[in-house]
Amino acid sequence: MSQTGPHPDGQPMPGREDLRQRTEVRIRRLERATLAGLWSMILFLLVSFGAYENFTFLPELSDKFRRMLGAPPPSEMISLALVIYAFSAIVGTLARMSRNIKPFRGLMHTAFFTAFYAFYYLSGVLPDNFWAVFFAGLSVMGLENYYLWAHSKEALQKERELLERMQSPKDG
Amino acid sequence: MFSSINSRAIVPVACAVTGFVIACCVLLYTFVKGDLITGEIHHAADLADTVIKSTRYAMLHDDRETLSQIINNIGDQNQVEHVRIFNKKGLIMFSRDDTEVNSFIDKTAAGCSGCHAESKPKRKLGTMDQARQFTNKDGHDVLAITAPIYNEPECSNAACHFHDAGQSLLGTLDIGVSQAPLKKTLSQLKGRMIMFSGMVLVLTVGAVCALLYRQVFLPIKQLVDFTEKAPGDSLDCDFPEVSGEVAKLANAFKQMTARVNELEERQDKSREAPSKEPLP
Repeated sequence: MSQTGPHPDGQPMPGREDLRQRTEVRIRRLERATLAGLWSMILFLLVSFGAYENFTFLPELSDKFRRMLGAPPPSEMISLALVIYAFSAIVGTLARMSRNIKPFRGLMHTAFFTAFYAFYYLSGVLPDNFWAVFFAGLSVMGLENYYLWAHSKEALQKERELLERMQSPKDG
Repeated sequence: MFSSINSRAIVPVACAVTGFVIACCVLLYTFVKGDLITGEIHHAADLADTVIKSTRYAMLHDDRETLSQIINNIGDQNQVEHVRIFNKKGLIMFSRDDTEVNSFIDKTAAGCSGCHAESKPKRKLGTMDQARQFTNKDGHDVLAITAPIYNEPECSNAACHFHDAGQSLLGTLDIGVSQAPLKKTLSQLKGRMIMFSGMVLVLTVGAVCALLYRQVFLPIKQLVDFTEKAPGDSLDCDFPEVSGEVAKLANAFKQMTARVNELEERQDKSREAPSKEPLP
């Protein structure tokens, strides 16, 4: 990496170097955050492929395991929970977008929608409700990832401009 | 492209509304389908009950010919796929299909497992447990009801019958109705819901996008093009066709540019002025 402009006495400025390194660390963190959103979307799509096949590739659950889990909730309750979750997630993301609050970067939404697929599967009604979970998930995660991408892009642009100004030689 | 002001306004709206509307429509369809199927099961159970009551008199008088005729007449109905009565041991006594009379029913079949899944058969079965859905050998979707025929005091007291008073169950009626009308209704419902949700999406997302484009994005784009003109160009001829707040912004920019040009001219003149003074 190129050195910063020298001090008039010929020595590098320690504060500037430290700032440059911290800026580079922030840039790398922002780039990783954008990738994290992409990975969560890919994971959701992979789980959805499995759900589309009604998880036939998984071994059949034994009666003992099913008894241990207990009776599944009624499918109407699961659907109601899905609607409430999707609605609140969308409203939450839109609220964060309008106030420019840092976007969420984790796998929470992927985990929740996987749980919905699991509940429907255990209730035996996954084929009827697959598309509802899929489109709700696509909507919530698409919105969240778009905001993450747009927010990170803007932040990256500012950090890179700052880095460029630090790295450019001073005018004489 | 996705970071422009157009995308930042339209993409979140389109994403949120489209996914949520589709998910809700799918769930609504599933709810309505469940309700229709439940209604169909209750209707089929009532039909089975009607058949049992219709054949009661013939059974009490051991009039097998009349009973057979009743079964045949019911089986001839348009939507009835199969109807049969078998005794406690599973022997088919009466059926619309003559070829299966005096043959034994398969106890492991879905219609039998409701009571016979465990070592001791159940004495009572709920309406929803009596129903099963399958595709028969003709490729038709069938909703079948397995309705038990219980022993009554008149049955064990009748002169002709040999049913023991201690016997709770005398036999079972198995009647199957075609699900073709239900499938057709569901298909029509699906088509209408797809059309409705499509219209809702076009109206909400499309109308919002069209209005935003016309009232906000297009004037902003014209303003950006106007402000990007070279400093030397005249800004009077190409003033954008905008109104309201955007026109005020364009006017303010034009005045600001005119003021900057005036100041630059004055500065140039003041630099040239010392060279024009006469030499001593």
